[in-house]
Amino acid sequence: MVAYLLRRVLLGLVTLVVITLMVYGLARSMPGNPLTVQLGESDPSRKLNPEDQQRMLEIYGLDKPWPIGYVQWISKVIQGDLGRSITRKQPVTQLIGERIGPTVLISGTALFLTWFLAIPLGLYASARGGRIDERFTGLVLYALYSFPTFVAALFLQIIFAVWLRDTRWELPLFGMSDLSSDAPFYARCADVAWHAILPITCQTYVVLAYNSRFIKANLEEVVRQDFIRTARAKGAGPWRVLVHHAFRNTLIPLVTLLGLSLPALVGGSVIIEQIFTWPGMGRLFFESIRERDYPTIMGLTLMFSVLTLVGQLLADLLYSIVDPRVNVE
Amino acid sequence: MSQENLRVTEEIDAANPSQGFWSDAWQRYRRRPIGMLALGFVLFLTFVALFAPAIAGTKPVICSYKGDLYFPCLGYFNRSWESPIFTKDKFRGTYPKNLKQKDPESWAVWPLVFQDPYRRVRENEWPGRRENPSRDEGHPNRLNLFGTDQYGVDIFAKMVHGTTIALLVGFVSMGLAGSIGVLVGALGGYFGGWVDMITSRLTEIVMCIPTLVLILALIAVVEKPTIWKTMAIIGATGWTGIARLTRAEFLRLRQTEFVMAARATGAGSLRIMFRHILPNALAPVLVPITFGIASAILVEGSLSFLGFGPPPPTASWGSVLNSARSNLQLWWLVVFPGVGIFLTVLAYNLVGEGLQEATDPRLREAKK
Repeated sequence: MVAYLLRRVLLGLVTLVVITLMVYGLARSMPGNPLTVQLGESDPSRKLNPEDQQRMLEIYGLDKPWPIGYVQWISKVIQGDLGRSITRKQPVTQLIGERIGPTVLISGTALFLTWFLAIPLGLYASARGGRIDERFTGLVLYALYSFPTFVAALFLQIIFAVWLRDTRWELPLFGMSDLSSDAPFYARCADVAWHAILPITCQTYVVLAYNSRFIKANLEEVVRQDFIRTARAKGAGPWRVLVHHAFRNTLIPLVTLLGLSLPALVGGSVIIEQIFTWPGMGRLFFESIRERDYPTIMGLTLMFSVLTLVGQLLADLLYSIVDPRVNVE
Repeated sequence: MSQENLRVTEEIDAANPSQGFWSDAWQRYRRRPIGMLALGFVLFLTFVALFAPAIAGTKPVICSYKGDLYFPCLGYFNRSWESPIFTKDKFRGTYPKNLKQKDPESWAVWPLVFQDPYRRVRENEWPGRRENPSRDEGHPNRLNLFGTDQYGVDIFAKMVHGTTIALLVGFVSMGLAGSIGVLVGALGGYFGGWVDMITSRLTEIVMCIPTLVLILALIAVVEKPTIWKTMAIIGATGWTGIARLTRAEFLRLRQTEFVMAARATGAGSLRIMFRHILPNALAPVLVPITFGIASAILVEGSLSFLGFGPPPPTASWGSVLNSARSNLQLWWLVVFPGVGIFLTVLAYNLVGEGLQEATDPRLREAKK
């Protein structure tokens, strides 16, 4: 077990180095740099003169070719320092710390809702397989699965923020809170929850549709096997067969799916956060690419890839717990 | 067996040749009404894309001018396909009046809907017709079936011409992704060992970087983005799933008897990989490619929506949605392109699902 873990971690480290090297090279090859993109776009008169710019680049260590910059970056990372954001004048870790809460609020709730709803839906679908009501829900779920999030977000915004404006059902168009920070705590919580309804809905429905179809497909595969017939023959009720005998045997693929959703939990969704101007990680990533803020891009990339690799490892380890027949080694 | 009997069996065999894999799959696919409906919709889109300039446009499909026949509508596909004589005679893109003024003898066959996807149609451009409404007055009406955007450009024309892009994005980017994925997966699965080690790592690395972020960074690196570069980038980032599936298929098939037989006859590695194994691995790989077409259309839509799509005046459905973001009260800017993207993605997903059921023997057993 220890040898297996060690091998996985070492392989993961090599993968991480290659990923960060690639993304660093890519980021530094984007036209412009943080100084020109940030200042030149907002106000042409504040454009730096070439000498100042050269001096600033030297301060940030951007005057050297990018492989050297990468070595400098990674040697700092090994010491536990992700560097400072160039455009926001803050340590990257602090920036991530500020943005991670709002993202987990959305994606954590969405993840909980999807699994909370998908499992009963999947069970229901395979229990009533082939009947009219099941086929109808199946069709609706399939349609939802194909419905693009950005279109759904715009539809919801039109319905709840434009058509239902000035009614009880009006929902905020974007942002996370309208209240100032000195408002009472509970009022602020309620306000944030109010703002989070639409983004959470958007993030939930696609995954919900996918997961419940996934559960149903897995159940259908298990239900055909002999031990299910045996369970029925010995007189177990239909629900008991479905939940106790069949569903427990579909847990392995579900665990994999859960492990793979780990990066999305913390990474958030660029599109949803961008549409609802939600101050989360996805939006930070989007903005840092636009601002050429190399330290932030790299910090976020590192975090995403670590989480992806950890998610894969966790899924493999959970495998052997859920199904003792599987030996990870 | 007597001579007579043998002859009869031969005749029966000739009358009922055993069905090939693909014709069998087609037989099965045809039985699913929803799958056929989806396939029909994709064919309909192809038709719309091919005949877009004849459906909506301001340039005649065919016209006779100064004694010669011209097809100015081809200019929508490629500027240079529009005869230079119209530039020389200073038509400036408006045909109806100029044709009559400069050659009273001329005649023309017009597109079904006289609207332009790239500019606002002005007053009396078509004799007796009003100017396209703009801003919040552009509700869908008789002349602008899907309404107009804030600058008065017709949405129906934009949608019709955007079909070309939606279809091209799917085919070009998935063609690229499919080729890369099959090649990488085939190499890894067939050779195994250190080749597999390298290709598997490569796949894992690309999978670890969030796709949208990778695409955004690549688009920033490519200066002057065009729709073709966007397609190439979507394809270059979307091959990982296909590579993994191909690798699994090749791992399974390289140990079969027919591969050994091929090797015994002295066939080279490349020949075995692409002539013997690939045709047998194609069906399971084709399914994720079909789903991939759907997701490529989604990715292009979201890129245009975020403002990173092909630059104007390329008419893409996502860019219409992008213009709706700041004008939410213009609901028709959301509904029509939104439903368009949705139906297209749904159709490709349903085709993929039908293909899966028609070609996967395990699912076939399930239905018995």
